[in-house]
Parts: sequence; structure tokens; C-alpha cells
Amino acid sequence: MFHPKVIFRILGMLLFIEAAFLLGGVAVSLYYGEATLKPLLYSLGIIVLAGLSLVTFFKGGERSISRKDGYVVVTLCWVVFSLFGTLPYMLTGSIPTFTDAFFETMSGFSTTGATILQDIEALPKSILFWRMMTHWVGGLGIVFFTVAVFPMFGLNDVNLFSAESVGPIRSKLHPRISVTARWILTIYIALTIACTVSLRIAGMGWFDAVCHSMSTIATGGFSTKQASIAAFDSPAIEYVLTFFMFVSGVNLSLLYLAIFKVRPMALLRDTEFKTYLMVAAAFSVIIGVALVFTSDLGVEGSLRASLFQVVSLQTTTGFATVNYAVWMPLLWLLLCALMFIGACSGSTSGAMKCARISILYKVMWNEFKRIVHPNAVIPVRMTGRIIPSSVQSAILAYTVIYIFMLVAGLFVNMAFGVDFLDAFSLSVASVGNVGPALGNYGPMDSFAPLPAVVKWFSAFQMLVGRLEFFAVLLLLTPVFWKRR
Amino acid sequence: MRIVIAGAGAVGTHLAKMLSAENENVVLLDESEEKLGKMETSFDLQTIVGDPTKISALNNAGVSGADLFVAVTPDESRNITACILAHYLGAAKTIARIDNYEYLLPKHKEYFSSLGVDSLIYPEQLAAEEIATSIKYSWVRQLLEFGNSALVMVGVKVRENASIINTPFKDLPHDIPYHIVAIQRGDETIIPRGNDCIIPNDIVCFMTTHENIPYIRQICGKEQFSEVKSIIIMGGSRIAVRTTKLIPDDIDVKIIESDLNRCHKLLELVDDEVMVINGDARDPELLRSEGIANTDVFIALSDNSETNILACLAAKRAGVCRAVSEIENIDYISMAEKMDIGSVINKKKLAASTIFQMMLKTDVSSVKCLTFIQAVVAEFPVHENDLITRKPVKSLGLPDGANIGGLIRNGVGVHVTGNTMIEPGDHVIFFCLERVLKKLEKYFR
Repeated sequence: MFHPKVIFRILGMLLFIEAAFLLGGVAVSLYYGEATLKPLLYSLGIIVLAGLSLVTFFKGGERSISRKDGYVVVTLCWVVFSLFGTLPYMLTGSIPTFTDAFFETMSGFSTTGATILQDIEALPKSILFWRMMTHWVGGLGIVFFTVAVFPMFGLNDVNLFSAESVGPIRSKLHPRISVTARWILTIYIALTIACTVSLRIAGMGWFDAVCHSMSTIATGGFSTKQASIAAFDSPAIEYVLTFFMFVSGVNLSLLYLAIFKVRPMALLRDTEFKTYLMVAAAFSVIIGVALVFTSDLGVEGSLRASLFQVVSLQTTTGFATVNYAVWMPLLWLLLCALMFIGACSGSTSGAMKCARISILYKVMWNEFKRIVHPNAVIPVRMTGRIIPSSVQSAILAYTVIYIFMLVAGLFVNMAFGVDFLDAFSLSVASVGNVGPALGNYGPMDSFAPLPAVVKWFSAFQMLVGRLEFFAVLLLLTPVFWKRR
Repeated sequence: MRIVIAGAGAVGTHLAKMLSAENENVVLLDESEEKLGKMETSFDLQTIVGDPTKISALNNAGVSGADLFVAVTPDESRNITACILAHYLGAAKTIARIDNYEYLLPKHKEYFSSLGVDSLIYPEQLAAEEIATSIKYSWVRQLLEFGNSALVMVGVKVRENASIINTPFKDLPHDIPYHIVAIQRGDETIIPRGNDCIIPNDIVCFMTTHENIPYIRQICGKEQFSEVKSIIIMGGSRIAVRTTKLIPDDIDVKIIESDLNRCHKLLELVDDEVMVINGDARDPELLRSEGIANTDVFIALSDNSETNILACLAAKRAGVCRAVSEIENIDYISMAEKMDIGSVINKKKLAASTIFQMMLKTDVSSVKCLTFIQAVVAEFPVHENDLITRKPVKSLGLPDGANIGGLIRNGVGVHVTGNTMIEPGDHVIFFCLERVLKKLEKYFR
């Protein structure tokens, strides 16, 4: 059953939260005395007004939300956030067209990091900060943030929470959602601060350090420079970012246990973490060796470039220190594979996630075993726990939808005149929330030349990829809207 | 001695029969009238229908005056609860059967005694330990260790090729590094004298030290099979699970279990290296496709003794050189022995050894039951002024059916001759028939 009143009331409340985050942009504008102050305040006003009217108009009605409501709220709130998030761009004139502005906000909230901007350095700092803010909020999830930061809103509803929190295996740190959320938020903020300070020490300015750390910890990919991290040309910064990108790709619950509860062994015992580490190491070595022989970066330079790019793409961040679009074509394939695999579930990264890849691999391997031992009962184990067959088939379904979404993107992109390589990599990068693609839409390029339809569809892919398909696509199925 | 046994399952009824045969006052308590069945009419004991975790039922069974309360229902939580209640109602000593390895850890022992649970028995764990030993020494029927392995008792079935057969004991050299404590010939148990000798197909119990085990193997004419690399276990019982935990990791283990639900449950209990196969292990086709010909050890642990015996016979025919089977039906053990199916595991006997230990008034370090003989091996610590220290061994007048296997002095195994004087601080290893055990008590006062 649906309870429209509750749904809209909650959306209204969530808009206040977006307004609260926009205050950050306003503060930056004030600090640097920029001309953007007025348009930002207008945007703020519009958002608050919209929120107020929703909350007052849909007063009363049910207090609790059903499971179905949860899915509607989560999907709608991401769309509504992105819609209102375009206001700062459009009112300040930074991004004049609505299509581009929506693409940029959706890319921000879904922590994709693809940008249609062509001259980032020319933008006011407050707008740059707002871009990073969308990443940072989107990294943990809008509802998640609300539950953690504003418990007084009373939104810590299980149905709402579980519609947004995705992943094949769920683990709670604490019996209460709000406490779990607060703990995760603690580690998130701690990582952001640690990353900022490290970047400052490595030689970045304070503003850039804050912006990049917000983008890194959310595994987003927006940079304050058009040339991404290559603009800094500093090995120290690259190593710091590689480290923090990698850490952000780890399951935050595990990270919390490892750091705050001093149980680092929990990390090393975790099958998914081991897979993550192994994939990252193997790809770095292969690509690194290939670069030593095919590029003029030198040994250290090749390995550093390989490590940075591999971690950046696997965690679906999308930073770049070199233009990998000019590497030998075989390496593109490896990069695409990384964009598909992704990092750990329960982290801020996107794509398939190592847990699913690892389970898929075991399911496949078991089929071979079953031929040799037809009567054997063979389990799929992750960190010693047996994965029930219902979860296995859910993961297979997920994979099918994932591939379907990739192909759909490829189809739409090519139908509107994008080259095969561009179209394919664009689709992989959008669904996986990576950001930069290959070919003409590599890490140093802008997505501005894309046709409008392709931009809209990419934005849709980002949204479904971020919410892991089911929450969004469920709304498109007739079964969901049936009364019973 | 008044003994209350709660739970008339396999272990409970065995204990009740055994203890009533030893003229103890046994009360058997169970909530199922059906299970108690003909126990009262066929054996000299009392049965009471009631829930062992109810105070009224425990009072009915006369727990308040009991010397020993044994809780052996299938559910460990109920056993522990029953023991706590029995202790509260006045039972002198309590024993609970458990099914959780953690409870056995020494650090929890004090807590369980403070609850009123004096001793815990875990027959499945003991059985798994025996299986693990029998895999290590594949030519041995049973191997028991005493005093931190200072002395070991080895039971071996000798064949025509053994060098020690047909030699009277008095003609054996005097410096032999072993002592033969008993011989099982058919259904007869012989405590050897000078004129006796070993004939083929005897099971001989040697008492020796660890470093002489290879020597024993040699004189028995046994060859050491190559190291065990793969094992097939039939039946995913609790013993099977414990066994997989005890054997070395490099051994390849397959468990064949016919119930699919149990297979899924097993997967949660065993490690990833263990392969669980759903099927009937009596099916030769299945065994062949799972590579029975290349399997070193076949362990039959299903609930059914007959099935286990047959499966072991089939496995031996298929080329497995070593078989271990769980036989719960005690009458079958000697029969199985004649069929040469290898080592036999019996949960009831393992449980009984703990009960024997608790029944003795003197303290005893350990009592271990032999599967193929109705006999026990017990390790007694010797105190100042004990009767046993006053005379040399030959003048002690030990009862018939009892025999000193050796003693441990300062942690070292020592052979005992007629002239040996036992000193306080020693640990004496007695080999004796089950009914004789109680008579040994007086030597330790």
C-alpha cells in the first residue's frame, strides 16, 4: 500500500536537509566574497519554500511508511535532490542549460564524477564546493545521511533505510539503525579529515585539499581542475590519493571495526576484502609492467600511474593522473573490467562490487566441481558464512540486470551517433558510477558534446547504478503498482 | 550406591544395564514411557516416567539421596539444567552429557562446578579423538595414552607373520621394552601367565612407552601403510563433524550423507576443505565415482550398526586398507571383530568410562574403556600411606582380573615387575576387567 501523504512529507523534510548542505556553499561564497552569494541564497530560498509547502500541504495521514513507500521515497528523493540541486548552477549561470545542470548534479549525487564543464578553473569557488558537497552527501546516501545527522527528523525507519542501503550481504554494527549510521558517519568524517590534512601536507592548498578529499572519500571523481589530478603534477599527492581512494573502497563497517574497535584481523579474514586487494594488486602489476614497456613514464612513473589509475577506476572514483585514453588498446579492456568489478559492498563505491564478483566466481567454479562430483553438496562461502541459494540467485539476477543496463546504454548511445568505443565505455562508466570513459570522453575530456538524450540516459544509468537497480526499476514494474 | 540416570537413550540404557549388573541401585528417568519400555522387567532397576528438568520428577526419582546423577538426554541444555537441579536437590555428584566443544575447555570447568555440574561428558568428542588416533596408527586396534603420553597401551591383532607368536612368555627375554597386560582370544579374555603364549588372531594389549611403538609394530609383523591422504566418512553425524576438526588439514575428507537437509546443515559445521556428498554410501557406484579405490581410510558413522559393518566390508573389498566403524550394538562388536573390519568405535563405552571414573570413591586420573574387551585401563595417583605402597607388587594379592600395566614416576614410564615397590607420587596404570575396577579402590586408601 502507498501512503502519498507520508511520501511527500518526507520528501519535504529531506529538502530542508538539502538546504542545510547548500549552506556550506553559501558559507564558502561569503568567505571568498564571491558574487554568487545572491543566487545561492535564492536557490536556498526556493528549496526551503518547496520543502515547507510540501510539509504543510501533506500534513497528517499515516505516520509510518510501508516497504513499498520506502522504495518510492528513496528513488524520488534522489531525483528531487538532483532537480533542486541544479538551482545553484543555473541561477549563478555556471551551467546555463537544464540538461547539463541535471547531468552534473546527478553525476555528483551518484558519485559518478563525469562532468560537462569545459573550464572548471573559471568557476567560482562556492560552485566548486557545491559540486563536492553533492559527492560527499551522495557517497553515503541521502537517507543514510539524514538518519545519521538528523535523528530528530524521526526518519530512522527500517523500510526507508533498507530500500537505500544495498549490497549482497548486510551486516549491522549496532542493533539500532541510527547508532549504526552514526558510527559509519564517524568513520566517514574521520577519513575525510585525515585525507584533507594529508593532502595539505602533500602540498595542496586548503581549498583544493578539502574539495578533493570530499570527492575522494565519496569515491566521486569531481576535481577542481580540468586536468583532474594531473594538474598538480605531484607524486606525493598521487600516493596520498591512491591510499585514500583504496581505503574508501573498503566496507565502511569493516573499516569501523578495524580502526575504532582495533580489530584489523576482521579485515584480513574478510573474503571480499581479500578479493578487492587481489584484483587491485594484479591489475596494477599487469598494467604497470605494460606501461614500463610501452610508455615514456619510466619505471616508477609507470607503476605509480598504473596504481593510481587502477585504484581510481576500481573504486569508481574516476580521478586521473594521465590520459589513459591514449594507452595501448588492450589496457582499455582491463580498465573497463575494473570499472565493471568495483570495490567492496558497504563502501561508497559503485559497480558490481567484489562480493558479488567473488560469489559469481564461486558459483561458476562449483558448476565444474558438480560435474566431477555429481552428488556433492557444494556451498558458496564468504568469510566462512554460507551464502544461501536465494542470495546466489539474487546476485545472478543483479548481474543480468547490470548487463542489460550496459547494453541498453550502448544501444541508446550508438543510436544517437556516439562511436562504439565511446558508447560502450560511457555506458560502463555511467552504470558503475565511475565517471570518465574512454575514447573521446576520457578523463581529461568534457561530456558537453554528447547529445541531450545520451546525457539524460546516462544520468538515468547513474541513478539506477547508485541505488543498485532494484529500488528504481521496481517502480517501473507493473507488479509494484498493483493494489495488492 | 544410588545412581539416577536421566535419559533412556542409547547411552542411558547402556549405563543403566551395566551399572545394575554391577549391583548398583539404578533409577532410570525419562519422560517417554515407551523408551523405558521393558527396562524394569528385564533388568534389576527402577524406571520412573518424568521430565528430568522438573523438580517434582527429580524428587520422585530420589535425587536427594543419590550418590551420582547422570544426565544423558540428547539435549545438552536440558542435561545441564537437570544437573543444576539435581545438585540443588542434594545429589552428591552430577554428570552432564554435552555437545559443545567450548564447554569442555578447562577455563570453564570451575564455573560449571559452581553451577553444580561436576563433570561433563562428550562421547562424540571422545569418539572423534579415537578415530583420529586410529588414523595415525593404522595397524593398531586401539591406542590409549596415560600420564601425558608417558605410557601407552596398544591393542594389536596379530597374524601368522608376527615374530612373538607361539613363544611362552617365560621364554621371552627379560629386557623387553613392553608388558603384555591382556590377550583377547575369541570371546575369552586372558590375563597372561608365564606358560601362556600368543597365537594368531589374538588381540594383544601391550603396555609400552611412546618411543617403542615402532618396535611393537615390528614384532607384530605389521607394516606401516603410507601416510593417510584421503578419507571417506559415511554418515554426517556429530562424530563425523568432530572428526573433521581433529584430523590434520592436509588430509582430503569427504562425508557421504543421505539426508539432503543434514548435508546443508553439515556445510555450516565443517570447514571449507571438507566435501559433503549427498548419497547412500552403500551404493558401490557412488563409492567408485568418488574414488574409493584411492581412499586410504573409510569411516562408517551412520546411526545404524549393521549398515556400518556392511559398508566397511564393502569398502575393504573395494580396496580401502583401513576401516573404522561405529558399532553401537555391543553384541555386534565381537562379531565385527571376527569379520576383520578394523577399529570399532562405541559411544556408549566411551561414556561409560567417565561414569566409572566418577563412581570410584578414591580419586583417579583417568579411566578408559577398551572397545574389544570388557575391560578398562585406569590411572591411579598414589598417595602417602596408601595400601599399595606397603608391599612389593607380588605380595599385594591383587584381585583376579587385574594387572598392573606400568607406572609413571616423575613423568617417565617405568615397567613393573613382581619386586617393584610403588612409591607415593607415582601414577599406577591398572588393567582390569570392568567388574573388578571397584575392588581396586582399597589399595589407594
